[in-house]
Amino acid sequence: MSALIIPCYIKSQWDIECLNRLLDSVQKQSQAFEKVFVVDDASPLRYSVTHSFVDLLVVPNNAGPASARNIGINKALSLGINHLLFTDHDCILDSRWNECMTYFLDQTNFAAVGGMTYSWGKTLLDYYHDINGTLAGKWLLPDKKELWYMPSLNFGMKAFAAEEFPFDERFPTAAGEDVDLCLRLRSKYKIGFCPEAKLWHDYGYKNSITGFRKFMELFKKYKSSSATVYEGHTVLMWDSSESIYKGNMHEPHLQD
Amino acid sequence: MSLIYRIKKSQPGITHGINDYLGEMRPFVKRVKKPHLVIPLLFLKTIEWSIYRWYKTPIRRFYGVKGNELIYMITNACNDRCPKCGIWERPEPQSQHLMVSHFIKCLNRLHHNLYQVTLTGGEPLIFKKDVMLIAEEAKKLSVPMVIVTNGRFLDEAFLNRYKELGHILVISVDSIEEGKWNEFRGRKNFHIVMPKIMLAKQILGDNLRIQSVLAKESAEEIPKVIAFCKQHNIQHNIQFNQDFGGNWKNAMPDIVDYNNDTPCAARKNICIYPNGDVVKCFDHRRIPLAKEPLGNIAKQDIIEILCTKRSTEISKIMKTCNLPCKNMSCNKPQSLLFN
Repeated sequence: MSALIIPCYIKSQWDIECLNRLLDSVQKQSQAFEKVFVVDDASPLRYSVTHSFVDLLVVPNNAGPASARNIGINKALSLGINHLLFTDHDCILDSRWNECMTYFLDQTNFAAVGGMTYSWGKTLLDYYHDINGTLAGKWLLPDKKELWYMPSLNFGMKAFAAEEFPFDERFPTAAGEDVDLCLRLRSKYKIGFCPEAKLWHDYGYKNSITGFRKFMELFKKYKSSSATVYEGHTVLMWDSSESIYKGNMHEPHLQD
Repeated sequence: MSLIYRIKKSQPGITHGINDYLGEMRPFVKRVKKPHLVIPLLFLKTIEWSIYRWYKTPIRRFYGVKGNELIYMITNACNDRCPKCGIWERPEPQSQHLMVSHFIKCLNRLHHNLYQVTLTGGEPLIFKKDVMLIAEEAKKLSVPMVIVTNGRFLDEAFLNRYKELGHILVISVDSIEEGKWNEFRGRKNFHIVMPKIMLAKQILGDNLRIQSVLAKESAEEIPKVIAFCKQHNIQHNIQFNQDFGGNWKNAMPDIVDYNNDTPCAARKNICIYPNGDVVKCFDHRRIPLAKEPLGNIAKQDIIEILCTKRSTEISKIMKTCNLPCKNMSCNKPQSLLFN
């Protein structure tokens, strides 16, 4: 049994199109989700969700994606769901994503899992993200048998891990909260990597020139949050890691 | 974003920056399979690297990857009765003293992160066998170690072995005048300890350091200690008086400005009490959220303890807690301490 949790903050028509595109891909899964929670984080734009399988949870005041995901986690845990999977509204799932993530969590001792993330667009900036592994998670070195961290857009946890390690709601934006969660989670459990669980992330670049500013803003947002994470975490933050990309996604003895 | 301390010449500079840049770029370029895209992608990577450098936290810039100091107050017990300190008044019962194996396990768990392990007290050398076990383990794990001692229990065999291990020994000296010495230590042991300091200098050489506490009571004595250190070529450090339960008074504000804007770097510290309780700073309890210890290494894994939400929150609070203890030596790396 798995539930999909999607935090949403819809502020433009593009966001609505992204969400519908994601829900279309959710509908085409080879293995259906038991529950799909869209948690609306007090979006400024009104919209309706036409996909009947969605449970739309609307939060009255904006509190950030960490808080929105925790609302989904609590809901899923109260229903006795075994596996909690997370993605973002600007992603598109491969048709076997749920099947692969759930199978991985069922068959291994890892308490959490990350999948393989590719860029949706075709610009130079998208290509950069693909080989840089910007949102593809990081191997824990030197063994590359588990992950240092996995972004929350392609992430899953077993129920007991989600219950023990919810997202820290003091992170106000979609930056750093997933690193913080992985660091806390890794103090007790391991995060595995499932390269077969593929999804695509749409960075929203129309072309490389006009998208350049967005590219800068993205890294500024991510890197500014890293200071908050560094200040809080005393250990594990310093473990060596390497970002995942297509060229190193298959490692020998991955599931030992 | 400013550095916590002024960068000295010995600190990483432009070469460090270049190495960091090349270390990021080389593996990235190997990932690019289309040769005509190498330059534009390298340009983008350089932008990302520059943003990363800009937001790199002072603590990481300054301490590098091995970012933590493990400080073990091995005992409260002490053979001296210094009026500046009240720790010796509360020796832990034998039943509550942490087994050394627990600390060694903790050291093993953390050693990849540590730039230093420090043993303090009380008087650490009351547990000389345990201290030597820890020193041997630290050597095996390539973690530099520092012991802060009153010097009373030093002997030739200990010093010789300690020298072989290459660790640093810090002896507390607040006066070199016999009368003041005995008054400051609450024991008449000037003639016992001074020869041991000279023996330590002879055996340890540059690995011997002297530290003095600057308070109203010791202000006139410190220059004499500094002169003594210069004469014997021993590196010296001054620590401002702190409230350790003693009755010394802080030096006058015109000598020491306690209320400065220094942020506390002690959140990098991992401190262990004699019973195994873990705190981020021995003055932890002054922060309301930190009244209780984070955990105990005899009962829990140290990494688990340090990754709790309360631990991360306390670390963040410590940056700006602005308590007087931020002026202590643990808020400074060894490279800036002794001169």
